[in-house]
Amino acid sequence: MAVVQIDKLTKRYDGGAEPAVWEVSLTVANGEFMVLLGPSGCGKSSVLRMIAGLEPITSGTVSIDGRVVNRVPAKDRDIAMVFQSYALYPHMTVYQNLAFGLRRRRVPPAEIERRVKGAAERLGLSAFLARKPHALSGGQRQRVALGRAIVRDPKVFLFDEPLSNLDAALRVSTRNELIKQQNEIGITTIYVTHDQVEAMTMGHRICIMDKGEVIQVGHPLEVYGNPANTFVARFLGNPPMNLMTVELETVDGRLCGRVAGTSIGLGDNVGGLGNGLILGIRPEDLYEVPAPAGLGPMAEIAVRVIAVEPLGAETLLVLSGAGGAEEFIARVGRQTRLKPGDRTTIALDTARIHLFDAATTKAIPHGRPGAS
Amino acid sequence: MGSPAASWLSHVRRTPLLLFLMLYTVISGGPFLWVATMSLRTTPEIFAAPYALPSRIHWEKFVEAWTKSNYSTYFWNSVLVVVTAVVLLTVLGAMVAHCLARYRFRGSRAVRFVILSGMVLPPQLMILSLFQILLEYGLYNTLTGLIVVYIAGHLAMTVYILEGFFAQIPQDLFDAARMDGYSDFEIFWRITLPIGVPALFTTVTLNFIILWNEFLYAVVLLTEDDKRTLPLGIMHFMGSHQLDVGMLATGLMITIAPIILLYAFFSETMIKGMTAGAVR
Repeated sequence: MAVVQIDKLTKRYDGGAEPAVWEVSLTVANGEFMVLLGPSGCGKSSVLRMIAGLEPITSGTVSIDGRVVNRVPAKDRDIAMVFQSYALYPHMTVYQNLAFGLRRRRVPPAEIERRVKGAAERLGLSAFLARKPHALSGGQRQRVALGRAIVRDPKVFLFDEPLSNLDAALRVSTRNELIKQQNEIGITTIYVTHDQVEAMTMGHRICIMDKGEVIQVGHPLEVYGNPANTFVARFLGNPPMNLMTVELETVDGRLCGRVAGTSIGLGDNVGGLGNGLILGIRPEDLYEVPAPAGLGPMAEIAVRVIAVEPLGAETLLVLSGAGGAEEFIARVGRQTRLKPGDRTTIALDTARIHLFDAATTKAIPHGRPGAS
Repeated sequence: MGSPAASWLSHVRRTPLLLFLMLYTVISGGPFLWVATMSLRTTPEIFAAPYALPSRIHWEKFVEAWTKSNYSTYFWNSVLVVVTAVVLLTVLGAMVAHCLARYRFRGSRAVRFVILSGMVLPPQLMILSLFQILLEYGLYNTLTGLIVVYIAGHLAMTVYILEGFFAQIPQDLFDAARMDGYSDFEIFWRITLPIGVPALFTTVTLNFIILWNEFLYAVVLLTEDDKRTLPLGIMHFMGSHQLDVGMLATGLMITIAPIILLYAFFSETMIKGMTAGAVR
């Protein structure tokens, strides 16, 4: 186990106008499962490869247990990596794949056998040790890739989108297997993915990246509940958070915002409104009237139903407010009887609204808002 | 589906192609069969009836060619030259291809261009220069000199075929091996070469066939009879006033036979190696 510290890590590729990674700073605690999450091309894999030593660092430092490892070769960093493509050697059996790294380190044959068989038993691969990768299923190959990392007994695990090549059902079971293994072994783990479900369910903390920079780091539910900007707000959540432009107004001496034709109280101590305002509300915080009891102050919005998407367990409603300029999505129960074209009223939980600066897109802290 | 009219129509559509293939087979295979039959007949028999099948099979002609006409020397010269050249071509070509496929270094594009542009130049253009160079270095009329020329002349094609294959090996395999602690050469030896066996087979087979039949460089760069390779051996049967057609055919069959055997055993592997990775 180890503490991994990244300090102002920067990466510029030859010929690239913009840096692929820009001053990323992050600390992964001992035994922590940190997920790097972001869209394709955001720099998360570059960060992982720099930690692994597979990519030279332009500037900044990577430290493992306080030791700066910028110039330490990959093989000497005591890191094991699981690749997106599994990186299994096709001409070797499962046993040989698992033993390959140990042989290079001149581990005694008896010890190699002990570790390989131990890992195989832990991962349910004992029956496949004599097979070659082409004779294994996708899930089995993934387990061999994980086993190859486990036998190394490293200080740090690195995972580069290991589940992206699996089908949906296998992804769920393998995800649970990975969580179980990490909990049992307790090794510091850095996991790269673009899948928010993996990030939300696997990580102790998630680090959201975009365009080479860290946007927000925190516990998954904390980041979900308090996104730092509109990018994080839209990236986490499916369907994504609704973002609507706000017209500021004063009603009875209180600062309010008109959204979809309805005036909503913006709460106390709302600062930095000079650049305009965006209101965010998650689809699950919009309700058919009457809303369930026990929620915060509700604002009712007159809407027209544009589309209805029944998903089985729930239904998504695509709605537009007064004027029809902006569309937004509500997640309601499967029992809804609404049809496209219907006019109805939707309740918005004002305790759950998020406010963002329209120019900088950053979240604006605010007090308890309420319906006007 | 499968009505008699549709079936008849599909046969009619295929007929021109079949006719063309039959014609092509006759044109390309015919001369070979003719040489094969002539190799078993004496020269007088051939002149009496050029296209007849052997009335009596003269196996002793092969023994005579091997023992009395120096064909055993030519054969072993060919084996030495071609096997050495193919082995060195494969080793050097694989190393070069691995570097060009896997590493990005300053000047790599220029190096690739220089090496691969060797395929563009025809041998006839270079023969005089090579003659001069070998003479200057004391390699003229030596098997060593011929081996060097063969390697230089076919390295480009070897690198071209192998680089295309090696470039398709996923980078993750090499990254994983680096993290396991393997050096660049060990990665080449333990990862690239074993995975690249189909492509290596292809280049070995192709190079063997081409070099075994190579005539131009050999006839210009070798003058002594004891240094001749098999393709030059047929000149043994060509005098200024006579042509021993029967023995010529026998000599040709001795030259061709190893190639036929090689292709018969390895053609499928060779084709797999050439097309491997073409479709994902």
